[in-house]
Amino acid sequence: MHPILARLERLAAYLALWCAIAVLVGLVLTQQGLTWPEALVLVLPPLLVYAFVCLSAWYVCRAMPLASSGVPGVLTASIVAASVAGGLWLALDEIWISTLESMPALAPVTLRFRAQTPFLFAVSVMLFLLVLSVHYVVLAFEAFRDAERQQLELKVLTRDAELRALRAQIDPHFLYNSLNSISALTGADPAAARRMCLLLADFLRTTLRVSTQESITLAEELTLADRFLSIEQVRFGPRLQVERRIDETAAQCRIPPLVLQPLLENAVAHGIAGLIDGGTIRLDVERRDGRLSIAVENPRDPDALPRTRGSGVGLENVRRRLSIVFGGAARLDAVPGPSGFRVALDLPCSIDE
Amino acid sequence: MSDVPPVLLRVVVVDDEPLARAVLREYLTSELHVEVVAECANGFEAVKAVSELAPDLLLLDVQMPKLDGFEVLDLVGREVAVVFTTAYDQYALRAFEVHAVDYLLKPVSAERLSAALARVRERLGRGERSASEGALAAARPPDGRAHRVLVRDGPRVHVIPVDKIDYVQAQDDYICIRSEGNDFLKEQTLAETEASLDPAVFVRIHRSYLLNLARLVRVDQDERENRVVVLADGRRLPVSRAGYTRLSALL
Repeated sequence: MHPILARLERLAAYLALWCAIAVLVGLVLTQQGLTWPEALVLVLPPLLVYAFVCLSAWYVCRAMPLASSGVPGVLTASIVAASVAGGLWLALDEIWISTLESMPALAPVTLRFRAQTPFLFAVSVMLFLLVLSVHYVVLAFEAFRDAERQQLELKVLTRDAELRALRAQIDPHFLYNSLNSISALTGADPAAARRMCLLLADFLRTTLRVSTQESITLAEELTLADRFLSIEQVRFGPRLQVERRIDETAAQCRIPPLVLQPLLENAVAHGIAGLIDGGTIRLDVERRDGRLSIAVENPRDPDALPRTRGSGVGLENVRRRLSIVFGGAARLDAVPGPSGFRVALDLPCSIDE
Repeated sequence: MSDVPPVLLRVVVVDDEPLARAVLREYLTSELHVEVVAECANGFEAVKAVSELAPDLLLLDVQMPKLDGFEVLDLVGREVAVVFTTAYDQYALRAFEVHAVDYLLKPVSAERLSAALARVRERLGRGERSASEGALAAARPPDGRAHRVLVRDGPRVHVIPVDKIDYVQAQDDYICIRSEGNDFLKEQTLAETEASLDPAVFVRIHRSYLLNLARLVRVDQDERENRVVVLADGRRLPVSRAGYTRLSALL
């Protein structure tokens, strides 16, 4: 529905504007020898009807948007529509004058009225074009405002998504426990406390930085993993051992950020932390035939209770992100064993040169 | 201020992280009338320390290998006051349900620990040494059924997976758990045990017996025409009228 017809007050304002136009046209007609009452009787009623004809300009604007139709198209459409509107005006004018002619008192002046028909035709075409251009301006303004709002919404959405992702990526309990370690070290070993602060700051900064990127190099992800494991080694002491077997040719492979991190977090939280004597986390990285495989293996307590907030969430998160980025071309396999847990990632390896 | 001279509070610190123990020990050494009598890195050590040293207070981490803090409290909560220390705030409600004296969030501050010690002294001063019976039944996991039953044998802890239990028998204030040819005594009521186990597996066949359905071979009658169940190992247990109704409903 036309926006002016949609609301009564808008329609009233629009028709008031047309009354003003009628007065202006009437003013011109008084210069041509008509009296004020005659001029108004001649133009006001048909112009008010014509006001509705001009609303059809809205549909022309909608059918031929400025942005996508090109100047010749818009011009042609405008001229055709204005001609049709002018034709309708002629019909309205004719009907009105004929009606006046049928009244004996007014019959004598209708001859002078008919003399004004060419002028009024020209006026009607101009008025239609005027209404049409006003419509275009209003629409362009609205489109601009919409675009601005959409951009704002998009910004908010992106930021929300980032925050959610961050919340999922940095486990607050990891922070609390790390801070507790720092608090403990402050008294006994201030130098170690400082090292831990720096490690933690470095870890947080890198996590925040890479989490907004679409892809990072495996080398960056491995650096982050080293920071994380160093922090956890301060916490767990000799209970946490790490063995790495890294294929150096894979270092420049581009991967989505933070796909390894959750696997290591699980390995610590659900593996090492549940063992009285701890154990060794094995990290294997291999590049072969354009594919990258990353495996994390950890021992775990065979008698451990199934955890209520388990590793499932973190793994599911990684799996979903991989499928968004790679479709079916990436895999995540979690293999629970009797005394250990192994998670293997297999994804395409692309290298920027 | 207080007329009563402050009693010495004997404390055991339980945490699997050495640094977490270190910071608590550091705070405790600057407290008056407090002695750290042991440090434990896991729940088994904690149970042992309670048995051998009879401390007044356990500062107890929740997430530890093998036995978590709630399981430790389940085992020794009648003998010692417990203050939990953890980085997780989601256990707070459960901690107070099982009558932990306090709940400290890591990183712990010295002031907060002092306040907790004051609460412990206050509670000990009222003569309430420990958690109440009913409260301890709430120590089972909030997600419902226990996966295992813990039984304390002095300083030792037996971990009995529920599928290894043949039946549980009420004996005065205790229950006797029959598993793999051994009997384990635990201070608990049969009703509490029943509530913590899966009702589709364990059925109350008698006022004094809770049976693992997987061990049932057949229902028989004894020489006085009373119903009995026969277990896989040939053992016979009495079945009451109400128990038989419950048993039939499950079979």
